[in-house]
Amino acid sequence: MSDPYKVLGVSPSATDEEIKEAYRNLAKKYHPDQYADSPLKDLADEKMKEINEAYDAINDQRRGRGPQGGYGSPGGWNGYASGQNRSGFGDVRNLIMTGRIADAEQILNGVPPERRNAEWYFLKGSVLYRRGWLEEAKDHFSRACQMDPGNGEYSAALNQAMNQRSGVYGGYNPNASAMGGCNACDMCSSLMCADCCCECMGGDLIPCC
Amino acid sequence: MFGYVRPYKSEMLVREFEQYKAVYCELCRVLGREYGLLARLSLSYDLTFYALLSLCVDGAALSQHQGRCVVNPLKKCTFIRSEGEDYRRAAGFSLLLMRQKLLDDRADEGFWKRLGCRIALGLTGRKARKAAGQYPELAALAEAFTRGQAQAEAEGQGPDGCAEPTAVLLREAFAGLSGCDGGQRTALGEFGYFLGRWVYLMDAADDLEEDLRRGRFNPLAAKLGLESGRALTEADRDRAAAYCNEALNANVARMILPVNLLELGPFGPIVENVVKKGLPEVQREILFLRVHEKRRGARKL
Repeated sequence: MSDPYKVLGVSPSATDEEIKEAYRNLAKKYHPDQYADSPLKDLADEKMKEINEAYDAINDQRRGRGPQGGYGSPGGWNGYASGQNRSGFGDVRNLIMTGRIADAEQILNGVPPERRNAEWYFLKGSVLYRRGWLEEAKDHFSRACQMDPGNGEYSAALNQAMNQRSGVYGGYNPNASAMGGCNACDMCSSLMCADCCCECMGGDLIPCC
Repeated sequence: MFGYVRPYKSEMLVREFEQYKAVYCELCRVLGREYGLLARLSLSYDLTFYALLSLCVDGAALSQHQGRCVVNPLKKCTFIRSEGEDYRRAAGFSLLLMRQKLLDDRADEGFWKRLGCRIALGLTGRKARKAAGQYPELAALAEAFTRGQAQAEAEGQGPDGCAEPTAVLLREAFAGLSGCDGGQRTALGEFGYFLGRWVYLMDAADDLEEDLRRGRFNPLAAKLGLESGRALTEADRDRAAAYCNEALNANVARMILPVNLLELGPFGPIVENVVKKGLPEVQREILFLRVHEKRRGARKL
């Protein structure tokens, strides 16, 4: 294995805290949850394994035991949880899970319009999402949620699509203020305000003005 | 292409900005040297990014040189040269894409523009054949792109269908940059696919108003329920900006994943700046500050 410090991007003299932080940042970057529906899954898994091993190795070197906490197996939406519902499209789910997207799409397209239920829209949305047709994927997820509002699987997929659109995972978020919550100017002006208020009432917060 | 893929200067280190400029200048120099003066006009931010990415993943030996700007001899410039194919390939791709744009414009612009396109096509013909001979795979991609685009628009497809040719163009062009490393190839292809979608959608959003006015096809018009010929209200504009911004965000979110997995080397921070800061800034400028619209308006007055 290559130098574990190099893998985490820290110097061998880094403190335990720095190493933990570097590990956390990298783990966030490569976390398998993000890649659950992507052809990059294998590559991300490999990277994750690499940094896990590096972190373990450093900890073993330093303390003689493994990492605490760390990131466990992926939770969240990984789609197609088998047995979660009585699926009428088990074969399609299997195809999607094994990455045979074109085959899955062919079967879905062969389903006559009158048999297209909420699950059909969800699976078609998943296929489109994997292919990168994000606009139609979102429309299909919305349709699935409209047809079956109580289904957690469908609403999780729609939520993920909507979150990505909001700009929090990259892109531009028009609602976020550019300056963040509170800067030095805000603090000064607030203090001046508070001082004025105190003086009105006969007190004084900042004695020099 | 369209010049939307660029870094956000305010968030760059001075050193990074100078490197970026040096890559830009070198690409300009190579374009002129390999394919002549007219080809130099095809220089763009997009192809500079392609060259930069190529430098990142190719691993050819690089060296820095001082010289004078090839267009303005009074200006001093730094050039980052490469021992590899990087710049020549980007220059060839740039010329081939410019030719496709000219062929496209020759078909549907006004008389004077058509005449200009014919002249430019005639003058670059020999050089374009040279580029196509050197990079047959890029020439095939550029041709397939124009054909696919025309077909998708003729069929009146939605935003996803119309963005597909650009997405495939960049997917294949980016994937072709990696040597034999399978993992990097997949990541580069995935990055290119979503960047291509982003570029197409950004361009469609930028042109939406003019397309509606001139009665030209735009996949976003049908999606937003806007009819051509009718003037847009302020509410329509805000709705269109919000929708386009969301659609673009979805693509940025998907391209950050492969970018994180790429091994980019010394220019990595510039590539990350482009994806994580530059693209959002372009969205802000075009959709919310409407810089192009204001420029167009000023020209009319």
